[in-house]
Amino acid sequence: MLTPTFLTSAAITFFLALLAWASTRRLRLEPTPWQTALEAMYDAAQNAVQEVLPQHAARIMPFVATLWLFILVANLAGVIPGLRSPTADISTTAALAVIVFISVHAYGIRIRGLRGYLRHYVEPNPVMLPFHLISELSRTLALAVRLFGNIMSLELTALLVLLVAGFLVPVPVLMLHIVEALVQAYIFGMLALVYIGGALQAQEERTLAKEK
Amino acid sequence: MGSIALDWTTFALEIVNFLVLLWLLKRFLYRPISEAIARRRAEIEQTLNEGRAAKAQAEALEKQYRGRLGDWEREKADARAQLARELEAERARRLSEVSAAVERERLRRETAAARDAEQRRREAEHSALRQGAAFAARFAGRLAAPELEARIIDLALSDLRRLSGERRDALHAAAGQTGGSSAVIGSAYPITGPQRERLEAALAEVAAAKLSYAFAVDPALVAGIRIELGAWVLAANLRDELSAFAESGNDAA
Repeated sequence: MLTPTFLTSAAITFFLALLAWASTRRLRLEPTPWQTALEAMYDAAQNAVQEVLPQHAARIMPFVATLWLFILVANLAGVIPGLRSPTADISTTAALAVIVFISVHAYGIRIRGLRGYLRHYVEPNPVMLPFHLISELSRTLALAVRLFGNIMSLELTALLVLLVAGFLVPVPVLMLHIVEALVQAYIFGMLALVYIGGALQAQEERTLAKEK
Repeated sequence: MGSIALDWTTFALEIVNFLVLLWLLKRFLYRPISEAIARRRAEIEQTLNEGRAAKAQAEALEKQYRGRLGDWEREKADARAQLARELEAERARRLSEVSAAVERERLRRETAAARDAEQRRREAEHSALRQGAAFAARFAGRLAAPELEARIIDLALSDLRRLSGERRDALHAAAGQTGGSSAVIGSAYPITGPQRERLEAALAEVAAAKLSYAFAVDPALVAGIRIELGAWVLAANLRDELSAFAESGNDAA
């Protein structure tokens, strides 16, 4: 059964893909204002990832930027009358959190190797292994619940204010919704980046030490 | 309003949806933009390289032009030195020419001054001689008398007899050219008979020819005789002597 949440997510995917295709169809050396804006956003995302993972920015950036874009548009979808934010559904946020969870391990194993990656669970001491495992689960859960809780609560607040105060009164709440959408998207993407960075930290440090 | 219940179908589809979105955005957004930025960076790098090449070329040209400028300065300095040398040489040459011209002019002036002085000296000498001759003529005119003339005739006869061989030949040649061998003897006073005989005898002896004689009185002679035989003339009178004295200055010049 296709839920409205998925349909909205699929529509967002279609919209973003269509917009990307239309925007990059005729890229030129002398950019148009829209192309300049796109390149500026790409550069901003690239720089943000590069600050955390200088060695693997090119590989990680598409994943993190897609998280930002999808979560931002999904968060903002709730502002449009008749639509519901997919991120106000625990199924979506849980799916995103699981994707991040899997990605952390996937990138870690891919870059550090299976043994090298698994070794970080017993560093600096094997005693730390349970704590590492609990941390992995808890932060994934926190990712899912934080995003879901914030967006769902915003929508609920707007609905309650609309019911209590009447038409146009929830407009400030909706403006807050926009800001919150931006912030939550940024937080989710940055946390994913930090988690991946944590998984690659030892390897990054070794590479930087070699470079020095 | 959001759903708190976890729907596994939605959960799975959301994962698929996100992965599809990731693939689509990689394919249609990140890669094209990354390639466009790379192309632009390459273009900028190429432009920068061209700029660096142009700058290097400009610097090389500047260096070359500075070198040429230095060469030109040296050539200019050499040309100036050459010009200065040529000017100095030309100045020296012109100075030399002017000095030579001045020297020539000085010599010419000195020569002209010497010539003028000589001319004035000669004129003065000639004038003195003429004055002396005139004075002597006036004085001799007062002393002129038949006795003086007789004394001069004696001197003439003595001179005739002492004529050199060359002059005797000239006299003989003159006697031959006259045809009639007529000798004209002029005197300031009438010549006496004995004097005529002595003269005729002396002339005949010296000329070594038979001559005819014509005697004439010419008071202008002042005193003395003048014997003319063709082109040969023997002047033994005060007028001719004084004239010869007066002309001696010219002869000396």
